Amino acid sequence: LLFFHGCDAEKDLVVSLASMSTKERIKAIQKLPETMTKKREIRNKVLNEITKQSRHRGAQSSCTQCLQGAAVSFRRFGNTLSEYFHLLRIWHKALKIIGAEFGTSVLTYFVFLKWLLYFNIFSFLINFGFITVPQFLAAEPNNLSFTGLELFTGAGYFQQTILYYGFYTNATISKIENGPSYNMQLAYIFTVGIYFVICFLILLFSMAKSFCRNFLNPQAYTGHASKLLCTWDFNITNEKAVKLKQKNLSTQIKEDLTEVKKEVIDFSVTERLIRIGIHLLAWVASLGTAVAACTGVYFLAINNLELFMKGHRNDLESQAAMLVLPVVASLLNTLIPFLFSWLGHLERFQTPGQHIYVTIIRNIILKMSIVGILCYYWLHIVAASESQCWETLVGQDIYRLVLVDFIFCLLGSFFGEFLRRIIGTTVCVSLGLPEFDIGRNVLDLICAQTLTWIGILFSPLLPGIQMIAFFIVFFVKKVSLLRNCQPPSKVWRTAQMKTSFMFLLFCPSFLGVLSVIGVTVWRLKPSEGCGPFRGLSSMYAAVSEWIQILESYTASKWVVWIYHNLITSELFFFILSSIVLIVTYLYWQIIQGRKTMTKLLRKQISN
Amino acid sequence: MGNKQTVFTQEQLDAYQDCTFFTRKEILRLFYRYRDLAPQLVPLDYTNKPAVTLPYELIGSMPELKDNPFRQRIAEVFSEHGDGNMTLDDFLDMFSVLSEMAPRDLKAYYAFKIYDFNNDDYICKSDLEKTVNKLTRNELTPEEVSLVCEKVIYEADVDNDGKLSLEDFQHMIVRAPDFL
Repeated sequence: LLFFHGCDAEKDLVVSLASMSTKERIKAIQKLPETMTKKREIRNKVLNEITKQSRHRGAQSSCTQCLQGAAVSFRRFGNTLSEYFHLLRIWHKALKIIGAEFGTSVLTYFVFLKWLLYFNIFSFLINFGFITVPQFLAAEPNNLSFTGLELFTGAGYFQQTILYYGFYTNATISKIENGPSYNMQLAYIFTVGIYFVICFLILLFSMAKSFCRNFLNPQAYTGHASKLLCTWDFNITNEKAVKLKQKNLSTQIKEDLTEVKKEVIDFSVTERLIRIGIHLLAWVASLGTAVAACTGVYFLAINNLELFMKGHRNDLESQAAMLVLPVVASLLNTLIPFLFSWLGHLERFQTPGQHIYVTIIRNIILKMSIVGILCYYWLHIVAASESQCWETLVGQDIYRLVLVDFIFCLLGSFFGEFLRRIIGTTVCVSLGLPEFDIGRNVLDLICAQTLTWIGILFSPLLPGIQMIAFFIVFFVKKVSLLRNCQPPSKVWRTAQMKTSFMFLLFCPSFLGVLSVIGVTVWRLKPSEGCGPFRGLSSMYAAVSEWIQILESYTASKWVVWIYHNLITSELFFFILSSIVLIVTYLYWQIIQGRKTMTKLLRKQISN
Repeated sequence: MGNKQTVFTQEQLDAYQDCTFFTRKEILRLFYRYRDLAPQLVPLDYTNKPAVTLPYELIGSMPELKDNPFRQRIAEVFSEHGDGNMTLDDFLDMFSVLSEMAPRDLKAYYAFKIYDFNNDDYICKSDLEKTVNKLTRNELTPEEVSLVCEKVIYEADVDNDGKLSLEDFQHMIVRAPDFL
């Protein structure tokens, strides 16, 4: 921050600004904490200084004047261009309205939804461009008939379309004889692989940036100073929300003041034992419910597969039977969290924050174990079954799950918010308007995105479907929020929430997806009769075969060298991990040293 | 809106774009919002830099500021003479700092000035008491208010002079990620 007092300081400022590049100079002027008139003065002085300096350097020929004029108009053009880019920011106005009416905590859900949408758009574009468009050139005709039921079950007519893995050819496509050819196998595996690598990097960097910004000093938040001066949400412009926030703050301050007196109360040994006993019981109950749900889903899935293998393929009854598994799984996912929150109410937690975290952890365990058991079923049972094209079967299962999940999300909004508002305003007025349940909705999003990521390998256009689903979900949730809900009465620590959501997306969700994809690509045998990898021993074999082909060309020996010595060599990864560990340890020591330094300096200031 | 606008000269727009975080379109839109507050006072032609000031009552009635408990302080901090009456320059400046594109240090600086009710470059106990009352709508008793202010000063005051200077405040903001 550039402060200045007095005339000399101003002169120094002008000189230093004149020596910066244009972009830096504009940024520095924008950041000056001065009035507009003052900033304009400084800007004019800086521009004069620049022309003076350039005049000193050399005779100002018409050429330099030309260049300067060109630079100015180029900058103006760049500004207009960036204005048009701003139009691409989707939902900008809607997000502003939501933030104004309900505060930033509810806004984080919608911003998270937008972020996930970008992942899906990116995946859809590269899959469509690199995998589907070439496939159009080598498409086989589709003999099946289209009935409307395919939209729900994903089977039938859709089975032989670009929607699923099974339709893609394993040939090397070339339209012109001896012309450039397009190897579908490599395209498929590299597109999916590179997409996941990019996702991994994006998630890692966003998480690190968010973590760095928001967890610098976790103890600072419990202090009253920051609670008072830093938590007022200046975004809110709705009168009711403002009043609510004020009431909230005063309640919190009152609680803090009385907490100081209550801190001394200690629990007796029996009371503590009882509390621990209740917590243990609740955990056993929740884990038990999760295990029971998983077992149920597993046996239902096996049953489903048997029926499918035995019975007729295309009549209405068996089509409807295919929907049972996703509906049951989604029902369990929706209803069991209510059980968990009821359990949470029974246990008496010390702070409401603990209650929220424990409930979220239990929900995550439930959802991830259901997804996990389904993955196990797909990778071990379906892949080993004698069906004609197991990848397409898995793809269809995931399609149905995604669709039913989407429908349940909309239903949840309908029942949880719309009906609840009607009940709260007419029948049982003491309940009042519902609040937007941020935790539950975000977990739903994470679960949906996990399924989509798992499904990319088996159904390349699934991100496109999820994209459309997210658009609809955003619209429905926004309308439901604005019509039915009241602003949140709890205090949410928004920045920590954002980081936790990103972390939850990364840690159980994305890493789990990576392991599933890894097992599929490296260990499982692709089906013989369909898909780009038919006949190979594993999907990864396509890459190793390609490397073998490359070995015969001298021009690409370096690619082969990289492959053998870096990617498949264990020694390289061992060395890399050791280096990363050493660097981490060094950084950690530096941080410890800086902490001691800060303490010393702080002591010096106060003395 | 296209390139044909007659409100400002090109140099004026360039200067505004360099000094605020807004794009050309946003500056024009803000100008029209400013004008809508008092169409009879604000001319459509700003090329000869007319000296027009809108009184605080009009500024404070804008929907963005109407319900903000600190609207009067915000207007005072950004106005030229500290009385809440704003020229177009002050208006643009205010929204530039309050926008989402402004960096946190800049917002922290102005937040400090907003909370500093007596304009002495320090947030002392009376400033804090007024802040607390505005934030809680006078729901706390005077003893509770006083207790809270003492705690705040105790925690945030690094150089131990009994009041918060700008450096203390900025130090606290850096450690509080929820500051908006």
